[in-house]
Amino acid sequence: MPRSIWNGTISVGLAHVPIKLYSATESKTVSFHEVHLKDGARLEHKRLCSKEGKEVPYKEVVKGFEVAPDEFIVLEKDEVAAAAGGRGKVIEIEEFVPDDEIDPVFYEKTYYVGWRDDDEVYRVFQEALKQTGRVGIGRFTFHNREYLAAVRALGDVLALHTMRFHDEIVRGSELDVATPGKGAAKAEIEMASQLVDSLHRDFDPGEYEDSYREAVLGLIARKAKGEEIEPEADEPEEETSDLMAALQASLKGS
Amino acid sequence: MARTLWSGSLSFGLVNVPIRLTSAARNLDLRFRQLHEKDGALIEQRRFCSQEDSEVEWEEVGRGFELEDGEQVVLTDEELSSVEPRKTRTISVEAFVDLEDVDPIYFDHPWFLTPSGDSEGTLRAYGLLTEVMESTGRAALGRFVMRTKEYLVLVRPRDGLLSLTTLRFHDEVRSTDEIAPGGRKPAKSKIDGAVAVIESLSTEWEPERYTDCYRERLQGVIEDKKKGKRIKAPEQVEEPKPAPDLMAALQETLDRMGSGASKKPARGNGDGLEKLSREELYERAQAEDVPGRSKMSKDELIAALDG
Repeated sequence: MPRSIWNGTISVGLAHVPIKLYSATESKTVSFHEVHLKDGARLEHKRLCSKEGKEVPYKEVVKGFEVAPDEFIVLEKDEVAAAAGGRGKVIEIEEFVPDDEIDPVFYEKTYYVGWRDDDEVYRVFQEALKQTGRVGIGRFTFHNREYLAAVRALGDVLALHTMRFHDEIVRGSELDVATPGKGAAKAEIEMASQLVDSLHRDFDPGEYEDSYREAVLGLIARKAKGEEIEPEADEPEEETSDLMAALQASLKGS
Repeated sequence: MARTLWSGSLSFGLVNVPIRLTSAARNLDLRFRQLHEKDGALIEQRRFCSQEDSEVEWEEVGRGFELEDGEQVVLTDEELSSVEPRKTRTISVEAFVDLEDVDPIYFDHPWFLTPSGDSEGTLRAYGLLTEVMESTGRAALGRFVMRTKEYLVLVRPRDGLLSLTTLRFHDEVRSTDEIAPGGRKPAKSKIDGAVAVIESLSTEWEPERYTDCYRERLQGVIEDKKKGKRIKAPEQVEEPKPAPDLMAALQETLDRMGSGASKKPARGNGDGLEKLSREELYERAQAEDVPGRSKMSKDELIAALDG
């Protein structure tokens, strides 16, 4: 059984669902620790006081918010906790919205929601979300900070996404993008659609491996055997000058 | 103007569209710095060698990887760069998939792709690709290298432009096998009851209605502190126990909503309490010192505040 990272309750009106949260994703990027090239010894990050130049023990470190250049307001831990609000271990679902109305750009981190104590109420809630195609929206407090959260049915379980707020999402209208003098011609649209069709596949995530991860692991293996490692060079790309010709040639080749 | 993090070209078939990549999300969290409590001076992080206890410059830092037998392999940044894939300036489209088949659990960071330069050819190719993906409901799967890492990405239209999302690889998404509940499907009457509650609490997705209360409260705490006020943490809501009779709890939830106490503003006295979240209601109840507020539901809070 994977280890849960949070226990709490999802409340919908007077119905309460006891739950556990699990990480849904894990990075498999090859991670290194920093070492001193000279002697291979691990590096330590030390906290130094910029005024005294001396090491500062962790218990003497405080959180400061810069209100003006070089003017800080220091917050105690319980003052930061005050901002987390009084929600405790309850995720109260305030409303439900159609799944397909939420652009996934709002979803930040994903957790799996597992059942606790009573799997029946969990299954009832999960099944009802699946049948209605809706997502529950509520607030969630984790590690002294509050998040907006979306709870939805995912396969046989529930998933919880922490969400970005609307002002944290960049809108297309904020970007200065020029429009072409004239729109695409019918023939171009048809040909591009054909090209999209010819490259159409079912999405099977298992088909795609992290080739960079493989390459880094391969490099480590080569280095471990004592091989010499040499750097490689980039190659430049060109802009398409004749769109129709490029589309046609692509279709022939596909 | 948004900062360009990468520029190159999006290539599908033999069509190359010069594009730039800008982030489609910004983090508005308040940033704190570490200070030394004694003198209020900024804390600096420095690297020290654990063997020599001397400071180590960036040029002397290597990447250590521990093998299974405990041996360590050390790579320089230059050696690491030798495995960067060669086509570093191209997002090459490998396939088109149905957007609805890609679960958002795979989505990592969102970006926008905008045309680079304003040559007519570039703008037309960009517009054409956007239009075709919009009309077919398809998204492009491709790969590209940013900084040192190769990413699997999904390109799809959003707000009339092309957006790009880095994707997690299949083995970075965990299995749900050990989390899913076993056993039989619950009774239809119970599911129907829950469906009725969900339907009655349903609304449209309007992201502007949700603000970052945490950010606002933290700003408030900082303002108060600036004025010399001491801030206390609020009392925490007690975790409710599951109702012994789920059907009765669902029915009562429905009844309360039916009485107009919640969602739809039926009372018409214009105080707008129904539009507030439980959080906001709770804060008002705290200000008015309503007794027993931590155990109250949203409806009960409205009733208490409205009295």
